[in-house]
Amino acid sequence: MSVPLSQMWTVATYVLKQRLRRNRRYPLVLMLEPLFRCNLACAGCGKVQYPGHILRKHLTVEQCLAAVEECGAPMVSIPGGEPLMYPDIGRLVAELVKRRKYVYLCTNAILLKERLEEGLFSPSKYLSFSVHMDGLREEHDEAVCRDGVYDQAVEGIREALRRGFRVTTNTTLFDGASAIRMQMFFDEMMDLGVEGMMLSPGYNYSKAPDQEHFLRRQKTHELFSKMLSNPKRRWKFNQSPLFLQFLMGKWDFECTPWGNPTYNMFGWQRPCYLLQEGYASTFKELMETTHWEGYGHKSGNEKCKDCMVHCGYEPTAINTAFASWKGFKATVEATLTGRL
Amino acid sequence: MAADEHTREGWEPGPVEGEQLTEVIERAFDYRGDVTVVRRDGAELVGYLFNRNADGPRPFVQVFAAAGGDPISIPYAEIRSIRFTGRDTAAGNSYAAWLRSREAAKAAGPARGV
Repeated sequence: MSVPLSQMWTVATYVLKQRLRRNRRYPLVLMLEPLFRCNLACAGCGKVQYPGHILRKHLTVEQCLAAVEECGAPMVSIPGGEPLMYPDIGRLVAELVKRRKYVYLCTNAILLKERLEEGLFSPSKYLSFSVHMDGLREEHDEAVCRDGVYDQAVEGIREALRRGFRVTTNTTLFDGASAIRMQMFFDEMMDLGVEGMMLSPGYNYSKAPDQEHFLRRQKTHELFSKMLSNPKRRWKFNQSPLFLQFLMGKWDFECTPWGNPTYNMFGWQRPCYLLQEGYASTFKELMETTHWEGYGHKSGNEKCKDCMVHCGYEPTAINTAFASWKGFKATVEATLTGRL
Repeated sequence: MAADEHTREGWEPGPVEGEQLTEVIERAFDYRGDVTVVRRDGAELVGYLFNRNADGPRPFVQVFAAAGGDPISIPYAEIRSIRFTGRDTAAGNSYAAWLRSREAAKAAGPARGV
């Protein structure tokens, strides 16, 4: 696993503090969406389908920082939309780094080289560019519905690494993904020199154009088992090993929908990053008035039935590592040996 | 199933009350286009209905007006009807269209670029 020790320590102490306070529900990663505008229209994405006047709006840096303060999570992920299209992205990131938040700036990297050359960012252990890469060139360009994006992303990654930035990749897997091709992709990303990779099966957003290629649970287990049952030592994953083992079918986890709360121009999104069932005006209201029992695999909610996405299950995996000796032992073993 | 098969673009349910109003508001909340909210006094607001809350003592919707500005809250009790007047941005089959154009480009020759 490739999460830096300082970040592991920050997360570990945060989780232990929450457990000592007997806080049953706490956030781990704030999903901060400063805008919905994007320079791609990916087939599996249900995040950017809005009228023009909504796409032209964005949060102010002050609104973003207030949400970060209100939430209190030690990590902030900035998805979108495409955050590099946010006019104040440099200032927002600088303010978050100043507050010692671990920032994952999730980008398709089309604009990465340009923004780096503009000098918007400074390398920091708190900042990682999390570049969207859905596989090798052919698979990625198909997933983002535009040829040439893979090569642009690789160019952006190289430039960021050359300038001393932390770079990870995030990969969404859909039905039809080839385990062998994905293993080749892992090799290619490691050859590029990225710090680590994040993997997740996709979610079938009701608004996504392509509704036919989302992985169901059994297929997810089969694919991830094939891909990861004999991992190479050089493959580094920037996520909980227990989450990857869950995707392989080795753990039976329940969703933690409050683990990665989402804030955007509409407010605090209920109940999670993927479902939009309404908005709360404050984080407290979100936590206290959302009917959490109505979500997750065991709830019987049809929208949650096949979901195994990282934003709901990675918090469960991290919590499991601290909640039981079995979880702790499995995490340490996987971290030290690289075996899943 | 393609998302565009479910579009309500152009739908005009007419004056509604009670459960019917709640149902229309739910549809408008799920709709990814602008709507026109018609108030009981006849005033109209065109915008994106991004939230609704039916749980409190005074249920309300929240709308970003297409003309701009901060979100506007409107109580359920003040709504006569909602028309689905804006384009449904979630409709359409961009993925299928992209696949078709990609196949066409491949068939046309080695130069890529769709």
